[in-house]
Amino acid sequence: MNAYLLELAQALISLAVAPLLVGFIGWLKARLQGRRGAPPWQPYFVLRKLFSKEVIVSEHASWLFRFAPYVVFGSGVAVTLLIPLFCVPLPFDAMGDLLMVVYLMLLGTFFLALAGLDPGTAFGGMGASREMTVAAIAEPTIALAIFSLALRAGSTNLGQIVVNTLADPTVALNAGHLLAFVALFVVTLAETGRIPIDNPSTHLELTMIHEAMILEHSGRHLALIEWASGLKLLIFFSLLANLFVPWGVATTLSPVYLLIALPIWIGKLGLLAVVVAVLETRLAKLRLFRVPELLSMSFVLALLAVISSFLLR
Amino acid sequence: MDETLFAPLTTLGASLVLLFGVVLLWRRSLNAYIQAFKWQSVILSGVFFLVGYFGHDPELYGVGVALLGLKVFFIPHLLGRLRKRVGADHEITPYVNIATSLLIGGMLVLLAYVLMRPVVTVSTLPTRGALPLALGLVFIGLFVLITRKKAITQVVGFLVMENGIALLAVLGTYGIPLIIEMGVFLDLLMGILVMQVFIYQIQDTFESIDVDRLTHLKH
Repeated sequence: MNAYLLELAQALISLAVAPLLVGFIGWLKARLQGRRGAPPWQPYFVLRKLFSKEVIVSEHASWLFRFAPYVVFGSGVAVTLLIPLFCVPLPFDAMGDLLMVVYLMLLGTFFLALAGLDPGTAFGGMGASREMTVAAIAEPTIALAIFSLALRAGSTNLGQIVVNTLADPTVALNAGHLLAFVALFVVTLAETGRIPIDNPSTHLELTMIHEAMILEHSGRHLALIEWASGLKLLIFFSLLANLFVPWGVATTLSPVYLLIALPIWIGKLGLLAVVVAVLETRLAKLRLFRVPELLSMSFVLALLAVISSFLLR
Repeated sequence: MDETLFAPLTTLGASLVLLFGVVLLWRRSLNAYIQAFKWQSVILSGVFFLVGYFGHDPELYGVGVALLGLKVFFIPHLLGRLRKRVGADHEITPYVNIATSLLIGGMLVLLAYVLMRPVVTVSTLPTRGALPLALGLVFIGLFVLITRKKAITQVVGFLVMENGIALLAVLGTYGIPLIIEMGVFLDLLMGILVMQVFIYQIQDTFESIDVDRLTHLKH
């Protein structure tokens, strides 16, 4: 019973932390660029504002357009229930493994793209087609990268991977581990729409990807999508932090361990956020045609990770 | 340090070295090529120190220091100066495009794994896990050498291939004797100097360092 409550608490905490993570990156980036920047908790105000606004839907849009934001948000919440956040193993681990996680995330992306196409605007269609181009290479890379860890651990269950890595720390020092980490990191940047693949802070730019799809949404629909994209960032950061560097994740349900594990998890997220903010400040956005090249590099790295895990077991 | 850390650490080092090889396939700017080679050499010399420490062979420290001086400071500096004087910036049209290069690079490493499988199976060395990665790097270097058009990128491909061979040597045999290693370094240095002169000549004759132009030598 306690385990189920904890699972629920994990999901609620992630929902609460996700906007702060987005805000923190934005604030740090502004600081690094010599601007004062909006405070890290700004996304909460944005969400509150959006939730209290009315929803305007184009008269050409179908039910799909209204339905999509809930699917996007719902799939995000479902994934947070399935991945290791600060405590393993949990009962919901049995409900879905890494393939389930990958496909749930793809489901969200798919509906977002459909909703982009639905009203028939130029920008929406453009963004949807670009998002699919990125997702087509990025999704298999996620599956492959995590799969190379699963081969080592002997289980596709994400919680089990963390437990096994904690039991045998030398696993973390092999070729597959490193290559998979780099691959998943590049995909994280692509999937969450960060520089160098996409620029999250512009709305009207011909090269936008994610923002182009959600231009037509407003009010609580937009709020849900924004919240879900923050959640996606948190999900990817948690995967990077917990699957590759699992130390600090609680393996028992005792309150003492949980109280230590929670700040460690937040700390890891913060560290990754700092890395992303510095990268976003240092790098320029890639030309759109270079994006598939970068993604195919990460795909090759993930492939090599699987090969080395498989052939050198 | 603990002996059990030896195998994972060398594999980690070798995969970092390979990672810079793959990055090379993705980049276009000549400066990025030179930087990637430089950082790859930094990690390679780290692997030399590591094997020297765990294999109890102090000579390898000497080789590591020589490698650091030659491949991290001298050759990148030389290449950087060459690039500035020639004024070439980007590898715009390689014979094989970038995405295909990356996939072929992945296949080449796979091939290296297959080829090295018998060796890895019978070997009892703690470093055996990293051998296929080193061979893969040799293949990737060779691939860069034959598919890039600019003379400078071809030189970097050659250097990366040499890095792969050095890595293979240090992992497979715990380093060749210092005197031979020094001979190899000297050859390498001579080779680079000769290539430098060549590149200047190509630039002077054709006003470009695309080796494509070499097909019509007669005007």
